[in-house]
Amino acid sequence: MTKPKVASDWLAGCAGCHMSLLDIDERIVTLVQAADLRATPITDLKEPDETGVAVGILEGAVNNSANEEVAHRMRSRCSVLVALGDCAVFGGVPAMRNFFPLDEALRRAYIETESTDENGKIPDDPELATMTRARSLQEVVPVDIFVPGCPPSADAIFYVLNELAQGRKPVLKDEKLSWI
Amino acid sequence: MLNLTINNQPIEVTEGTTVLNAARQAGIEIPTLCDHPHLTPFGGCRLCMVEIDGFRTLQSACTIPVTNNMVVRTDTDKVKTARKFVLTLIFSERNHFCPYCQVSGGDCDLQNAAYGEGMTNWPLPPNWQPYPVDASHPNFILEHNRCILCRRCIRACSELVGVNTLGVEERGAKTFVIADLNVPLGQSTCVSCGTCIQVCPTGALIDRKSAYLGHEKNLDIQKTICVGCSLGCGIQVVSRNGQVIRIEGDWDSSVNSGILCKTGRFAPLADDRERLTTPLVRNDGALQPVSWEEALAAVSAKVQPADQVAALVSTRQSAETLHLFKHLFVDGLKSSMVTSLEEGSATTLPSQFAASKGKAFEGTLKDVEQADSFMIFGADLVNQHEVAGFFARRLMQNGALLVVIDTGENPLNNLANCALTPKTGKELDLLTGLMAAISRLGQNKAGFTGDAIAVMNAAAEISGVSTDLLLEAGFKFASTARPVIIYDAAHVQNLDVFNALVRLAEISGAKLVNPKGGANSLAAAQYNLDKPFRLNGHKAAYVVLGDEIPSERLVKALEKVPFLVVQASHTSKLTAGADVVLPVTNWLEQDGHYLNAAGQLQKAEKSLSTSGTDVRTNEEALKGLAQQFNLAAAGDWKAELLQRPSPVEITVQAA
Repeated sequence: MTKPKVASDWLAGCAGCHMSLLDIDERIVTLVQAADLRATPITDLKEPDETGVAVGILEGAVNNSANEEVAHRMRSRCSVLVALGDCAVFGGVPAMRNFFPLDEALRRAYIETESTDENGKIPDDPELATMTRARSLQEVVPVDIFVPGCPPSADAIFYVLNELAQGRKPVLKDEKLSWI
Repeated sequence: MLNLTINNQPIEVTEGTTVLNAARQAGIEIPTLCDHPHLTPFGGCRLCMVEIDGFRTLQSACTIPVTNNMVVRTDTDKVKTARKFVLTLIFSERNHFCPYCQVSGGDCDLQNAAYGEGMTNWPLPPNWQPYPVDASHPNFILEHNRCILCRRCIRACSELVGVNTLGVEERGAKTFVIADLNVPLGQSTCVSCGTCIQVCPTGALIDRKSAYLGHEKNLDIQKTICVGCSLGCGIQVVSRNGQVIRIEGDWDSSVNSGILCKTGRFAPLADDRERLTTPLVRNDGALQPVSWEEALAAVSAKVQPADQVAALVSTRQSAETLHLFKHLFVDGLKSSMVTSLEEGSATTLPSQFAASKGKAFEGTLKDVEQADSFMIFGADLVNQHEVAGFFARRLMQNGALLVVIDTGENPLNNLANCALTPKTGKELDLLTGLMAAISRLGQNKAGFTGDAIAVMNAAAEISGVSTDLLLEAGFKFASTARPVIIYDAAHVQNLDVFNALVRLAEISGAKLVNPKGGANSLAAAQYNLDKPFRLNGHKAAYVVLGDEIPSERLVKALEKVPFLVVQASHTSKLTAGADVVLPVTNWLEQDGHYLNAAGQLQKAEKSLSTSGTDVRTNEEALKGLAQQFNLAAAGDWKAELLQRPSPVEITVQAA
């Protein structure tokens, strides 16, 4: 039996969920023995295999057209899509932006921050992605498994990935479902 | 008794029990949000829905009373689906984003409920409507975005505290928790008791001091009693790494059942005075740090039995400390001027009266909790003993009447059914007039001698309170079954006025309640530490100030004393002028017993550690001094509490 392929990527997040994934420590060996880690932010491959992967993992909220593209590509190439962390599950911290008009948020970020000098300006290169409202992953593509937490605990991540590698659908409940 | 089954488990409960309480008695868990054991059931959140045979729809377990042979199920798919649906609606209604909330991670009832149902996400997107944040209050913030409209705060404000500041406006999704007629909390009638913060199930009410300082599981929680006043309310001191971050009311306390006032909850955390950490002795005009041994030697060198040392002690100190203090200065140093900082202002007259009667005559806070009419004589139940004021306020909204007698502007005047303002010094006439009015109305429970009409007219003339008002107040007060007079002994000028008060209580059939002064006011009185403070050529003075703030009057009175020793936890004007300063613990760092206003002996537990510092407890400091004088051990402090007749029945069986 070939090992199931796993790919992951991050959207509008802080990389904390992937850090939490690395927090599974030596259990990562168990994981790579059970699964084939393909394109992830912590490996060299940059895009999930065109031939498809078994499990796709996305961290972060969807807050611009580039994120949308990544989310759609991952969805079209994976069988099971995992929303990892509160940003992907609910919108999380990036979603705080939704309470303000977009131009206000951009002005605050690029012009008004205390560390910005008088030359600060909102980037307007046409090649840049277009900003949208910050959304949870399920508002953009169908999601199969939700792993909440900011970040989810290493134990919860290992449990989910290990179950998926064994071909089972993970069910998070009780002590596995706690937010620290 | 009624029989029912919940999840096929047979249970027997008393009539009137709700399904929720029946389930709890049987150890069956039903998740709730708006329910709180100390508040009336509300049925607002719908999380406790259960399936009951014979009912077409799911019913809320918190509001439905058990009927005989009821069959309840809490674990069916229908119930579980409904719970998830209810939670989904609550989550999507406002902005419940856990990552940036201080209660997330175990302290949030909403998050715990969702995790309890195994929810990993909610399928309805939130409405992204920003709600305002009311940060106008100095002690807490009302974050409307996290509010689930459970109305626990509103019910606490009305049912427990009787203040009714909080309420709601609008209906449905537009419902909003507001203060008064929608004014910012900081400008509202809020009394800053903080009970609302203590009952909030989410992070909507944010305590400014303790928010984000740690989850409950990482905090140290010590049950003890408040020493802010003589009521002796039960509290929980919440600390982390030796720092108090919050004080909560103790729901299990028989005194206050969870509620607290601003003095108990917030005042200790606002204390920013500088701590004393090392003993100081005046040398060449300046206070120099020395060791404890040197400081105590300096005291014993200057303070001699023949010298006539004046000694004062704070009533915030434990009975053990007060007893040792009395032993040291009265028995050991033979001083004639040994008293408390309160100088018996709240206890002398009642103690004298009790001595003349030979028995206790006062009622307790329990009588206040059950009263149906109140007469407040000079007491300020807003700034002192406020929890007693809350008891009165919550009874008043159920129809209890309030008569206020105060020569000045009493803060409860605006709530009073009758506010009598006699001319200063004419309280005796007013009380006589009231007795006459009560007997004229035939409401007297004891005989009144004299011509009631003539007495009343004369009283009205002298006190400046009309006969109509006297009759109205007399009728309102004396026509009820359980009247209570709450008096402030400091406002009773002399024994005549006091006797009149006692007589009024007899005539109206009322209980007389004295909330007294500081935490151990009564214990100080029982140890005879209740003299007026007079300096008469004393060569030295010793003040056990503890953590009390010295009054200007005290500082001025002690200015001229040649040798002043102050035992204090914080720097103050008094320590600045002292010759020896002994650094001691504050109320949270020492333990000991307190005799509250109701005569109940309670133990204050040590809540904070002082290890690694050079401070001693007030008791240890006095013991050190007793050793310097080679004094024999003190007698039994508990037995001595009972030696003098007390105005209120004393129960020394520590609770």
